[in-house]
Amino acid sequence: MSGVNLSGIVKAYGALQVVHGIDLDVQEKEFVVLVGPSGCGKSTTLRMIAGLEEITSGDLIIDGRRINRVAPKDRDVAMVFQNYALYPHLNVADNMAFGLRIRRMPKAEIKTTIDDVAEILGLTPYLDRRPADLSGGQRQRVAMGRAIVRHPKVFLFDEPLSNLDAKLRTQMRAEIKRLHNRLGVTSIYVTHDQVEAMTLADRIVVMNDGNIEQVGTPMELFNNPANTFVASFLGSPPMNQMKGTMTATGATVGDAEILIDGASAANAGRDVIVGIRPEHVTLTAQGPSSALPISLDLVEPLGSEALLHARHGDNAMVFKADTNGDISHLSGVGEVHVPSHLVKLFDAETGQALTLGA
Amino acid sequence: MAKDTPITAKSDSTGDDGRLVRLYDHFRREWQIYLMLLPTIIWFIVFLYKPMYGLQIAFKDYSIFKGVANSPWVGWEHFQTLFSNDSFIRAVKNTITISFYNLLFGFPAPIILALMFNEILHASYKRTAQTIVYLPHFISSVIIAGIVITAFSPTVGVINAVMGWFGLDSIYFLTQPDWFRPIFVGTGIWQEAGFGSIVFLAAIAGVNPSLYESAVVDGANRWQMMWKITIPSILPTILIMLIIRIGNVMEVSFELVILLYQPATYETADVVNTWVYRQGLQSGQYDLAAAAGLFNAFVAFVLVMTANTLSRRYSRTSLW
Amino acid sequence: MRKLCLTAALLAGSAITTPAFADGHLMITEEPLELTIQMNHARYPIYEESWPVEQVARELTGIHLINDTVGANMRTDENTGRTEALNLMLASGTIPDIVGSSRIRDFVNQYGPEGAFVPLNDLIAEHAPNIAAYYATRPDIEAAVKASDGQMYYIPYLPDGKYGRAYWIRTDWLDALGLEMPETVDEYEAVLRAFKTQDPNGNGEADEVPFFARQWPELIRLVTLWDGRAHGSDTYHDFLIEDGQIGHGYIGEGYREGIANLARWYDEGLIDAEIFTRGSSARDFLLSENLGGSTHDWFASTSGYNRLSSEIEGFAFEAFLPPASPTGRRIEEHRRILVKPDGWAIGHTNEHLVETIKYFDFWFTEEGRRLANFGVEGQQYEMVDGQPIFTQEFLDAGPVNRSLYQVGSQLQGRGYFQDYNYEIQWSNEFALEGIALYDTMPELLIPDFLGVAFTADEQQVYDRTWGTIRDYMLERQQSWILGNGDVMADWDDYIATLDEMGMQELLAVMQSAYDRQYGG
Repeated sequence: MSGVNLSGIVKAYGALQVVHGIDLDVQEKEFVVLVGPSGCGKSTTLRMIAGLEEITSGDLIIDGRRINRVAPKDRDVAMVFQNYALYPHLNVADNMAFGLRIRRMPKAEIKTTIDDVAEILGLTPYLDRRPADLSGGQRQRVAMGRAIVRHPKVFLFDEPLSNLDAKLRTQMRAEIKRLHNRLGVTSIYVTHDQVEAMTLADRIVVMNDGNIEQVGTPMELFNNPANTFVASFLGSPPMNQMKGTMTATGATVGDAEILIDGASAANAGRDVIVGIRPEHVTLTAQGPSSALPISLDLVEPLGSEALLHARHGDNAMVFKADTNGDISHLSGVGEVHVPSHLVKLFDAETGQALTLGA
Repeated sequence: MAKDTPITAKSDSTGDDGRLVRLYDHFRREWQIYLMLLPTIIWFIVFLYKPMYGLQIAFKDYSIFKGVANSPWVGWEHFQTLFSNDSFIRAVKNTITISFYNLLFGFPAPIILALMFNEILHASYKRTAQTIVYLPHFISSVIIAGIVITAFSPTVGVINAVMGWFGLDSIYFLTQPDWFRPIFVGTGIWQEAGFGSIVFLAAIAGVNPSLYESAVVDGANRWQMMWKITIPSILPTILIMLIIRIGNVMEVSFELVILLYQPATYETADVVNTWVYRQGLQSGQYDLAAAAGLFNAFVAFVLVMTANTLSRRYSRTSLW
Repeated sequence: MRKLCLTAALLAGSAITTPAFADGHLMITEEPLELTIQMNHARYPIYEESWPVEQVARELTGIHLINDTVGANMRTDENTGRTEALNLMLASGTIPDIVGSSRIRDFVNQYGPEGAFVPLNDLIAEHAPNIAAYYATRPDIEAAVKASDGQMYYIPYLPDGKYGRAYWIRTDWLDALGLEMPETVDEYEAVLRAFKTQDPNGNGEADEVPFFARQWPELIRLVTLWDGRAHGSDTYHDFLIEDGQIGHGYIGEGYREGIANLARWYDEGLIDAEIFTRGSSARDFLLSENLGGSTHDWFASTSGYNRLSSEIEGFAFEAFLPPASPTGRRIEEHRRILVKPDGWAIGHTNEHLVETIKYFDFWFTEEGRRLANFGVEGQQYEMVDGQPIFTQEFLDAGPVNRSLYQVGSQLQGRGYFQDYNYEIQWSNEFALEGIALYDTMPELLIPDFLGVAFTADEQQVYDRTWGTIRDYMLERQQSWILGNGDVMADWDDYIATLDEMGMQELLAVMQSAYDRQYGG
């Protein structure tokens, strides 16, 4: 039962509170990603779990045991650092063996462990090299290898891919996912990159300003963001958000009316924020939908699809459209069609998601 | 010295242009960098290379009146004078011995001090302690010698007073040849260890903090972190400082020796520079002094080259 | 302050002195002649043209000295006045018409024969009657000034007076303990022991330091109490001359005896335990702390400590005659040397050799000598019964020596003959009493070694051997006194080692140089 349980965790530096009492349950073998903008408290939370930061108040429980005051080495966690934290004076094998030697593991056992892990990570040819002689991706693998050899109950990742270039990052991302599938160790992963969060996570924890905004599977968060922050944080490009007013059948945005399933006269007149995902609109009406007149600013081709930068009144918005190998047909677009069942609504004041008809 | 200039970044390998044309283009494009280099070059020429011309007096019967150029050559005579003199040989041995002790005890001292400072967590306590150990560096040798003479005085000295509490007889330390080296080396450490620790503290500050965090998670204690992270991380700095130090082996702090030694302690205290001072400069034998200086420089050069080569071979760290 | 004094003195100088010297019998040139001068000394880094003495000399002789000093450190506390400035001057390539300095002898004797300075023998004979007359009375001094080629290259500063240092003792302590003034070395030892053990300062602790010295070689001087010799001249560890034979104190039997006894004294605590490291403040500290009992030091400055009687009840520090050795001999080894290696010389580019030597001679005339010794009449002194007497105002104005430097007299970078009367006038009663006491026993003083000038070959032997020999002798000397080794047991080895280092060879070249210079 190697779960990690946080309840009411608070971190304060003197009078300045940076984490405001968060609750989180991480199940055994689960891969949880903490995501949020920089300064949101995600790294601090991770470091509290690792034991590198003291917990001001609240309970941290790993494996059913409260470990707030347990030394890092006795928490049985392993951490992968953003800048890898490799010892420049040790070669790859010694870097990986460092933690094991500290724990006085017998030499022969260390060797077999290292060999196994090096094999898994494809590091066998590099065991004698120093970190300075490795590529970024190889260093990243060594950093992970150093965590893996420990066979910890929990892996902690602190933005491990942010120092890599885009291509390598995609590749390593997949490798981490495969490793997790193979080893099945509970993992907590911190990133500011929502793509990494979406692709890696069993569950995503979106954090903002020291609080958890929403916890859920990637698709839950994508489809039903709990508030405008989550809505704008996940998705690429993010969800378009426009001020509007409820009517009996939908909402008015500027001088257009958008039909929304479940709208009723009960809510009419309420100020809301209307959320439309860029990928959800179509160029022609399909099923129940409403037309939104737009003036097109710019078309950015991405290959199979293109981004349409457009305006409706004061609202700037971005939509995605299929190209089918050609963008000439997109240049004259004057309106998009919004499916009525995919429109999201948020309270204009609190930013919280509104559920109609419930 | 001057850093590598980024001239290689651009290449105009048209092939048709002659070397001169390319050189001209090169200077026209990079002249600011050469301009910045110029003061250093001038400094070197004026203060280091031009005076080297005067080194020839080591091989001449030098008269200030006749000048460097017009004094007659005497070949190796001054060197023969030096090496046929037992007290010079003794001075060379003493220099090397004192330097060796300096290296053995004086070199690790600032490193140990820096490591200790690094372990102090209380910021203002740390600052105070650092200031106190830096202070002796700024005191002139004359004052230092006065302090040492007083501290080791057989009648009013604090050392003998403490020894007195334990029923030991007082010792007139500064006239005992056996005590000169410990006192001299100890004084040097007291005076310079604090200031010398700055460079190592800077090196320690440059160690990536996540190395320590990673080690903490791996379960290392502070002692293990010091041995397995801090020291290996600052090893290049240590080696560079060691090479520089070896280059100064022949330069035992001359003023302090002059101030502390006595005829009674010449046996262990007389170093090449004090010998030259007594035999050469006091009686105006500049040519002999130059010969001794040249010998010093030669020994230092050989030592530095050796140390540098060894360091490069075994640790991949070197001055050049 | 100083500036003010000078300006005032200048104004006064031109007003008062002009009529007095108007007869012009000392005039050297009709047209004023300017000569450049290098003069660097610990007390006066450069030659000040505004010195009243220089102003008067200009009026009398028509020669104007123009300061052209190179290499002076104007921070007088850092200016040693030694040969650095001379070396810098030489290295600069130009030598002024006149070069004056302390320690100039070895310098001109080395570079004079190479052509840097003008040989003076013929010039003196033809144009300097006063200098020649002086040398006629003192051929030994003339010999001492000469370089190895037989030429004189500088006109020396000639100190006057006989006594320099004396033995001093706390006579109030003697009285307190009911002791007599020691007359023999045994009595002296008993007195020192009594100082150590009978608590003459009455503080209940045996903290008295019976014998102390500002310069530790003064301790070595005590070997004369056992018929040894230490320093052959006013330079420490110098060779000595006895009946025309060059020798060295540190290889004599009496020295061996003396060192053995000094080692015993040291062991018994009769000598300052820190004698070798206490340094120049020893006298000041030990006397004002009421700890020091006896020393060997200068008359003038040591007698001044009797002012402490205002702080220490009954304090009296008085000179006593050198105690007699076991064989009954009494000597005072230190004396004012007859000729100093200080003075001035003529640079080789000087185009007015005759005028310059006449100018040098001026300072040996009656008027010139008075000017060099006492300053300017009507300012620093008045003539009373045909004698120059310092004005009370001048004597009260602070240390007399310093005041005289400030007007340009008593300059040791100038070749002149000192007049001891100048010093008597401001010596205190204790010094004068002491000198009178020493004067009762004229045989106390022994001849000084006045130095020799080497040929190149002799110089080479000296350079090769002397430094090593001196170091070794001093090393052993201190060790024996400190009890590391026994002089009686080590002596034969010591002498053998010195011979191995070339002692006999060195003495031989010293002797040949001496014979050549002083006519053997």
